This record gives sequence, structure tokens and C-alpha cells, in this order.
Amino acid sequence: MLPHIKKGLVSGFTVGIVFVFLILIGFISVGAGMIWDLFGNLNNPSGNVTLTVSNLIIFIGLFGFLAGLTTWDKGAEGDWVQTLLAGLAAGLLGGVLVGAVIWEIGSLYEQGVDLRAYLPNLCPEEMTFLLFDHSPMAAALVYLISWVSFSLAGALITKAVSTRDWFSKINSKIKDGVNRLALKDQIQKVLENKAVLIGLLILLGLVLYFLPLAWGSYLNYIMGTVAIYVLLGLGLNIIVGYSGQLVLGYVAFFAIGAYTYALLTAPAPHGIELNVWLAMATAMVTATLTGLLLGLPILNLRGDYLAIVTLGFGEIIRILIRSDLLTPLTNGPKGITNIGQPTWHGHIFSDVNYMHLLFLLVLVGLFVAKRLKDSRTGRAWISIREDQTVAQATGVNTYRYKILALLLGAAFAGLGGALFASRNQFTGPEDFMLMVSVNVLCIVIVGGMGSLPGVLIGAFVLKGLPELLRELEDYRLLAFGALLVVMMIVRPSGLLPARQTQFSRAQHDKYKQERAEVN
Amino acid sequence: MTSFAISAAGVSKRFGGLTAVNGVDLAVPEYSISSIIGPNGAGKTTLFNCVSGFYIPDEGEIRFGGHAIQGLPTHKICDLGIARTYQNIRLFKQMTAIENILVGYHPRMSTSWAESILHTRRYRQEQKNALEEAFELLDYVGLSGMGNILARNLPYGAQRRLEIARALASNPTLLLLDEPTAGMNSQETGEMRAFIKELRDSRHITILLIEHDMRVVMDISDQVTVLDYGLKIAEGKPAEIQSDQRVIEAYLGPGAAALSEKFTRKRIDHVAKR
Repeated sequence: MLPHIKKGLVSGFTVGIVFVFLILIGFISVGAGMIWDLFGNLNNPSGNVTLTVSNLIIFIGLFGFLAGLTTWDKGAEGDWVQTLLAGLAAGLLGGVLVGAVIWEIGSLYEQGVDLRAYLPNLCPEEMTFLLFDHSPMAAALVYLISWVSFSLAGALITKAVSTRDWFSKINSKIKDGVNRLALKDQIQKVLENKAVLIGLLILLGLVLYFLPLAWGSYLNYIMGTVAIYVLLGLGLNIIVGYSGQLVLGYVAFFAIGAYTYALLTAPAPHGIELNVWLAMATAMVTATLTGLLLGLPILNLRGDYLAIVTLGFGEIIRILIRSDLLTPLTNGPKGITNIGQPTWHGHIFSDVNYMHLLFLLVLVGLFVAKRLKDSRTGRAWISIREDQTVAQATGVNTYRYKILALLLGAAFAGLGGALFASRNQFTGPEDFMLMVSVNVLCIVIVGGMGSLPGVLIGAFVLKGLPELLRELEDYRLLAFGALLVVMMIVRPSGLLPARQTQFSRAQHDKYKQERAEVN
Repeated sequence: MTSFAISAAGVSKRFGGLTAVNGVDLAVPEYSISSIIGPNGAGKTTLFNCVSGFYIPDEGEIRFGGHAIQGLPTHKICDLGIARTYQNIRLFKQMTAIENILVGYHPRMSTSWAESILHTRRYRQEQKNALEEAFELLDYVGLSGMGNILARNLPYGAQRRLEIARALASNPTLLLLDEPTAGMNSQETGEMRAFIKELRDSRHITILLIEHDMRVVMDISDQVTVLDYGLKIAEGKPAEIQSDQRVIEAYLGPGAAALSEKFTRKRIDHVAKR
């Protein structure tokens, strides 16, 4: 009986600590607000934005439930009493922890201590909300009770669900059915038909054409950002995902692309005002050349050393841009305004036009990345990622291929930078913080190293979702970290891990037959 | 006079104070199967690494096909026609079997990245040919139907064979095998032994191997070289090596010959008693 209680205490403690942390950073009202977004609108069509106690209780309950849920051991057998005890232990410990913290900060608040001096997010409104406008003691009790009851519910429901045969039976039935239908093969077969493929492509084209028209400017803005990050992700995926070189200063190429485009098209500081398409191409070329300059000396480094050197490079570029030395050239910290925009039939690009352009470029980027992956070049890259020494002994000129990966990756970043600058019409050194590199790297890792659908999903999850869930904005980094940790535990190879191309034997067999006939 | 596939003269390699290979001369006759044997730490793999370019020897010269190859980068050496396998299998684990072989084809292909994006006729032709040959090579090493399995998911023996297939893909004239039967049971070892012989005969290449299993070495080798503490202590036909006093001492320690005699006598006594 003891191990169950111990397990309960551990999960109660873990989840409790997480919850306390969320209280202290003031995330609780945000979380409750999200629940209000999800469910509250139904009950409250008037759109009256007041966070209700029920939302808070649901939010608390979610965590209590989680605590109870984690007490369940997949393989371990346990009867109902043991489950009950584990859930109780988890709920009690977590509830006492959370209750104590609430009581403590509640009492301090009642005594008139300004908590904001230490924890800036605990403003009076937040405190009133946390205490349900009651005394600290009463509030703490509510927390304790809801934790215990939800934790018990969590433990019992998990047990009920996982002990039932029907659950696993249905699961395996579905899998069987899918296998029997041989859905994958069928789809493969249908896709091999050229007419179907062309039809699907036209359909996709139509969808991509009409989506931006329907989206409205806010969604177009967000999805545009996602698309730019997809381009960046595709580029970094070549460097990190394919050739396995950990480059942390990817933002440098992005910055150089953006600044090249901006300086060539803006009226100030140089007044060149070049044709925008030409400027875009130049931005790609400059970024690529920078990649060459960076790559030649450093690509002999491996692993950690490469990461550190490129990290420094990213920062150096940003600092150079805003330095006094280069201010005459780059306009320094003020940045560049009135950056040139493409035109279409005499009209300056609208958000819809931009979205169309971005979709087109993303499709081209995907196409290029896919073809590279399946080619001799792509195989050389992946072999370098897997075992550089052996790759070289197998005849791959590793140095050359690593440089090539960096150049192509930089070209993508240059293009992304040009589009970014052009769409925002303004760019400054603060656009090119280290965080951009980290974001793009996260996209590649979360999506799945070397996986193209992974880049799409990763960019949407990491750039699109936070924008759509505006409430999360302040807690982006927190969510980022949590997501990465959870992902590394649950899906260590990414949301959509890369699949190796399957080579069909049919072609080969046919060839063999022909030869046999000749003989 | 026989010509030599590869010859080394006075090759030395030092790591700090340790001389791993000490002035070794080696001459491998063309189209032979030659073995390098020696106790652990004798410098066999270091010599291999010097030949395949992983290490640059401190002294001496290695000649292959009319070139001095010491100091060349490994991919150049591979281009010249030396391919190798590794003591602890080093496949590209996240790639499929067929892709591993296709990487082996890399030096024999020439299309650039731009052509692979555009799918030019030349690219498609080259890709098709390589793929066909790769599948044949897969059959040749006995891995038919395993082409789309990730290398790391293959059984152990299959991984060893795949490593050989990858090495063969570059069309080498000299194949270096580092302990090809390590970790195999007697049946697998027997198969590998037959396979190595067949490899030399049908593909007309020279094979140089490091091996610990003496039955394999004595059975398939045309020439055996023995290293001990980085020095070459014997070279010759298997039968000569078996009776070489210094070789026995290197393996079993000084006085071993007397010991083995005593052991034999004891056994005879034992049998006689019964």
C-alpha cells in the first residue's frame, strides 16, 4: 500500500509546485481567462468579460485532476482502495501546498503589504481574484477542497478508463481496420495517377488563393509571420536537420537579408530605391555570401564549438548594425523606415497579396527542400549528420557539403529577411535578437529534425498559436520551455519525425526481368 | 613477380609517448586475401586508420596504385579505390539500408545540388542507375527485401553485411575489413568466411582484414602479417605463422612453447590413464 501513497505524494508535490509557481507569476487569471474563452462564451453571450469563480475552480481542478491522473501507473496493478489512497495523497499534499501559499500571500495582502514589489504580477485585482474576495483562510480551504476532490476524481477516472478492456479493444480495432484498408497504399496508388495529382494541386492552389481573402488582415498578419518562419525553418532545417551542424546564429543571415533589402529600397539613408524584386534577389545573394564568409573558417569545428562560434556571430551582426561605426550605413538604432514594397498592377501589395506571395514562396521552398533531401546531395548531408568521419571515408567531401548546406540555408534566411522587412515597412536592430535564432531552432526541433511537415507544424505551433492565444503572450517563454520539456519526454524525435524515403523495388525488378529476357 | 595492391614502408604512428605502429613494412599482393593479426593493442586498427587516411603516419610511406597516399584526406583515398568497414559497426543509423549503399555510390555520381532540384535528365538517369545497382548489391550481400529498413533496426549480422555493401558501392580495388566476424556465432562466421572468399573471386578485388578468429584467418588468408606492440614480428603463409615461435610467444607469453608442450603431454597422460 505504501508505494501507492508515495507515488501520490510525488505527483501531488510536483504538480503542486508547478501550480504555486503559476500563482506567483500571476498566470492563474490568464489560465482562467483561457477557460473562459473556451467555455464561458456559451453561458455568457453578452460578452461581459468578468472572470468568474467557476472558471477559477475549473482551472484549479484541472491541476488537481492532473495530479490524480499522474498517480496512475500504467503497468502496475492496483485495486480501488489503493487508487483512492494515491489520489487522496496527491490531492492532500498538493492542496496543502497550494493552500498554504494562498494563505500566506493572502494574509500579507490583507496586512497591506504591496506584493508587487516582489512579484510584479500580483496586483490587487489578481489578489482579489485569487482569494475569491474572501478571507485568506476561506480561500485556502476552497483550494484544498477542490484539489482533493479533483485529484480523487482524476485518479479514479484514470483507473476506470485504463482497466476497461473496451478502451484498448476499440483502440486495436481501429488500428486493425486501418491496416486492413491499407489506406496508405491506396493513397499512394491514387497519388501515382498524374491526373489526380494535378487535380489535387489545383485544389490546393485554389484553397491557398481564397484563404487569405477570407482571413481578414489580422489573421493574414499572423499567418504571414508563420509563413516567414516556415521559410526560415526550411533553411535552418537544411543546416541543422539535414547536415547536422548546430548553427545558433541563424538570425545573422535573416538580419543581413532584411537590411540588404531595406537599404536598397528605402528612400533613407541611401535613397537607392532599387526595384524590389531585384532587391529581394540581392538580399538572398548577400546572405549567401555571408554564409560563405562565415562557413569557410569555422565549419571545421564540430558540435558545441560550432554552436558557440555561430552564436557569437549572430550577436556580432546585430551589434554591428546598431553600432556608431556603421550608423552612416545602417541608420543605427533608429532603424530604417519606408522600406519599399512590391506592387501588383500599379497597386502596392495588400496583406492578401503578401500572403499569396508567401504561400508561393513556401511551396517553392518545400519543393526545393524535398528534392534536395532525396538527392545525392541530401544523402551526403544526412550521412554527415549521422557520422561525419565515416561519411568522409565513404567518399563524401564533408567540408564542401557542410558549406553548401550553410549557403542554401542562408539563402532561405536572406529571402525570409527581405520579406519580413518589406512586409513590416520598418526594420531595426531589435528585430534581430538572439531569440529569433532560438525560435527557428525550436521550430526545427519541435517539428522533427529533418522533417518538412515538421517545419510547417512547428512554425504554426510556435509562432501561430501564441499569436492566436493572445493571453499567453506574456507567458510565451514559459509555454515554450514547458512545451520543449514535455516534447522531449513524450516525443523525443519531434511532432512529425522525419521519414526516410522509401525506394520502390518495382523499377529494379522490371529492369532485371528485361535483362533476363535479353539473355 | 607479383604486383602489390598496397605497400607500406616504415610506417610509424605515435600518440604522445606511445608508439602504436612502429616502422611497419607491409606488402599486400594484388587479388589476395591478407590478414593482419596480433594481440589486443598491437596497432592493427591504427595501421588500418593510417591506410584509410584517418591518421597521418608520423613516418613512412604508403603507396597505393602508384600514388603516395599518406596525408590525403579520407574522401580522396576513397576516390582512389580503398574502402573499409569498422570494428564496431558504423552505419548511418537513421538511413535505410538502400540509402546507406547509395551514400557509398556518392563518389561515383556527379550531379550537383542544382540538378537535383531541377531533376534534369542526367540526374534522373544517374539516380536510376545507382538505385538499380544498389538493389543488386543488396541482393549480393544477401539482404534482399531489407532495402527500406532503417540500418539501426537490422539484425547484427545484416548490419555487418550492409557495411560491406556500402564499402563495395564505391567500386574499390582494395577492401579493408576490420574484424568482419566479431560478435558472430560459428554459423554466421562460417557464412562470412565463405562470403569473403567469394567476394575476392567474383569481384576481383584485394582484401586486407583484421581478424581475431584464427580459424577464419588460417582458412582464408593467402598471407598473414603479425603485429605485436606496433612491430611486425612475422609475415608469411598461414602454415608458417602457426609454427612461428615469436608469434606463439606474442600471444601466450614467453615460455609458452614449453607450456603448450607440457599441456599436450599432460593430456596424453590423461588419455593413457583412462
